[in-house]
Amino acid sequence: MNRRDFLKATLAAGTVLAVPGVSGLFSMLEAAEKTDLAVATGPSPASITKAAIDALGGIKAFISRGDVVVVKPNIGWDRLPVYAATTNPEVVATVVALCYEAGAKQVKVFDHSVVDPRRCYKQSGIAAAATASGGVVSFIDDRKFRDMKLPGVALKSWPLYIEAIEADKFINIPIAKTHGLSTLTLGMKNLMGIMGSSRGRIHQRMDGSLVDLAMTVKPTLVILDAVRILTANGPQGGDLSDVRQLNTVVAGWDQVAVDAYGATLFGLKGSSLGFVVAGHKAGLGSMDLAKLRIKKINV
Amino acid sequence: MIRKIRLTSQAIFLLLFLWLFLQTESKGADELGYPVKIFLDADPLIFITTLFASHEWIQSFFLAIFVIVATVILGRVFCGWICPLGTLNNIVGTLQKRKPRKVPLSLHWLKYYILIFLVTASLFSLQLTGIFDPISFLIRSLSLSVYPLISYATKATFDTLFNFNIPLLVDVSEFIYTLGKRLWLPFQQPYFLQSFLLGFLFFIILWLNILEKRFWCKYICPLGALLGVLSRFSLLQRTVSDGCNSCGACTFDCQGNAAPDQKEKWHNTECLACMNCDDLCPQNAVQFGFFRKPQTAPLDLGKRRVLGMILSGMAAVPLVRITGINKQAGTAEPKLIRPPGSLAEKQFLSKCVKCGECMKVCITNGLQPTLLEAGLEGIWSPILVPRIGYCEYRCTLCGQVCPTGAIKKLELPEKEKTKIGLAMIDKGRCLPYAHATPCIVCQEVCPTPQKAIWLEKAKVINKDGKVLNLNQPHVDLDLCIGCGLCEAKCPILGQPAIYVTSIGESRSKDNQLLLS
Repeated sequence: MNRRDFLKATLAAGTVLAVPGVSGLFSMLEAAEKTDLAVATGPSPASITKAAIDALGGIKAFISRGDVVVVKPNIGWDRLPVYAATTNPEVVATVVALCYEAGAKQVKVFDHSVVDPRRCYKQSGIAAAATASGGVVSFIDDRKFRDMKLPGVALKSWPLYIEAIEADKFINIPIAKTHGLSTLTLGMKNLMGIMGSSRGRIHQRMDGSLVDLAMTVKPTLVILDAVRILTANGPQGGDLSDVRQLNTVVAGWDQVAVDAYGATLFGLKGSSLGFVVAGHKAGLGSMDLAKLRIKKINV
Repeated sequence: MIRKIRLTSQAIFLLLFLWLFLQTESKGADELGYPVKIFLDADPLIFITTLFASHEWIQSFFLAIFVIVATVILGRVFCGWICPLGTLNNIVGTLQKRKPRKVPLSLHWLKYYILIFLVTASLFSLQLTGIFDPISFLIRSLSLSVYPLISYATKATFDTLFNFNIPLLVDVSEFIYTLGKRLWLPFQQPYFLQSFLLGFLFFIILWLNILEKRFWCKYICPLGALLGVLSRFSLLQRTVSDGCNSCGACTFDCQGNAAPDQKEKWHNTECLACMNCDDLCPQNAVQFGFFRKPQTAPLDLGKRRVLGMILSGMAAVPLVRITGINKQAGTAEPKLIRPPGSLAEKQFLSKCVKCGECMKVCITNGLQPTLLEAGLEGIWSPILVPRIGYCEYRCTLCGQVCPTGAIKKLELPEKEKTKIGLAMIDKGRCLPYAHATPCIVCQEVCPTPQKAIWLEKAKVINKDGKVLNLNQPHVDLDLCIGCGLCEAKCPILGQPAIYVTSIGESRSKDNQLLLS
């Protein structure tokens, strides 16, 4: 199934296969319709991840039986989880496990690391955690980039990772951090991890490029890890005094909305982030938090 | 029978050597988990010359002492039974046509002269041993040339098969390729400066076996010479009984060309203890045993020539050091960015044996062999070339594999503060400065906890006269450690707009910028 039509299809009939019983189906559809964003807080990263997804209607609202799923955390840096430079491994492991619960055929986990991938995968704890949940963790293989046409807001084409493009479902699991150019790096910025070639050039037209990317990849679900956030010296960090423990996970299907909400975690507004505004204008999603149905859960 | 045991021993040690070689690669943790440098630790020549050149005793060399003791007891068993280069020479030697040269070259003296030269130079602080030491030579050649060659050839082959895209064939080839990646291929294709030269030298040494088997071992190897001297009075000696009828059967299979048919004029310093002569003797007249009166020819090198080599070794010391590199403005060649933990240049050169272990293990492939950047004295010693690979912030592997301590083993907190140079910005090329274009890649990737690149908000006018608010990067000279990640990732390809030179390196007192 094409991911772009996924939400529509899910609401129409897609979940019938996955959900036993009509009442279950209805309750799930209701939940999915009701909630745009789920914000879960609590001490256990695994529990809040699950709670946030449940608040959106449960994993089965997003993943169907037999799906090949790509879970894309941030594994960009050689840092331990406490430094909040890479996605929380428990959050990643929980999402992988949930996908299998929903009947996914295979859950792939990868990222195009900025520094040495061996160290990033190992030190971030993500490779071990995702593997333990049954995830298929792999390093980026240069053969698997393919030039893709992009909408052209800033980029006409760029080599993207085919496993990410060809997957049935794509779940984006960024971590919330500061960034020198885009101010913050949240969900849309995390998609740069499927880009090949010399990504340094992207920074010349960052906002438009991120919109192009987000419109092409269209994740099924975005789960913003804010268990710990990095408030300065991002995106790589390295100083514990820059890390704040928020014990929060934000989940949603609207990329712009998730990022707009993410900005509030840093005391900012979505409208102050160039890529959020650009995404809103391009019709990718809504940054207008007041109009969204946000469900807050404490576990 | 002895031959079979010896071949087994050679095979085991060669495989052990190759296996440890393959383990000299990061898997993501900061430890390798295996004693990858034990063959270097066990090398008495490196041990002795390092001791002479740097006046330092290195703990891990107890294995070298073990080899010395073993040689005094058993003769050159290291050469005949253990040395991986010797075994490779043996293997290539089997390609020689069965008819050996009638008259061997008998250049045995050459290796003793090389040894005398190297040891003398080391006594006067010049460490050139690494160029000729067999273990250094082998690890360097494999690391910087042969292994990258194999990797490249394998990838090219399987990529070609992959692109043919013939259904069943691709499945098979990809299966083998995946297996290869897991078992013997490197994580990423290594690239090295000097790879051609180093490979060329290595293949010449192997080819010499076609000329004469174990050419290197008999005529060039200074370690073999050192062990030969030590085996001169070893406890295990050969005797030939009266049963010998001078049939000459032992001549051609003597690995060291030690004149085994000469009974009393046998050269025990050239004997590799392969014991082929014992195995082969139709009369069963040859015997090896302990505490026998040796029946050997003296090791006659000629007093004048020995003196000549000693003088050469002494003269070499100033000769290699009067290069203009040693009198550049300031105190150091700017490109000489040494690995973190390297000793001050003088001490570094007195210890580095150019084995290439640090370059093999370098996680980013950034450590590269010099040619003449550090003078002839520093040939094939490691420098960081950030355009090829940066120094990974939390990695300490190069210091862990260095056999002589030329690169100290650093604990992580110390490593993270060790400056190997400083980055500077070329405003004429940098996008936010020169071209009114946003870019903060250097700041983004900077790995120090408090970023060593700070951004100045600046109003810049572009070509259309429009005023833009841009971030212009500056290097914080206190925080910058010179890792080169900024240079490696700078989008100004070719000649980057931010680059590292050796100034400010922690190891040097003089090569400093800031008054501290």
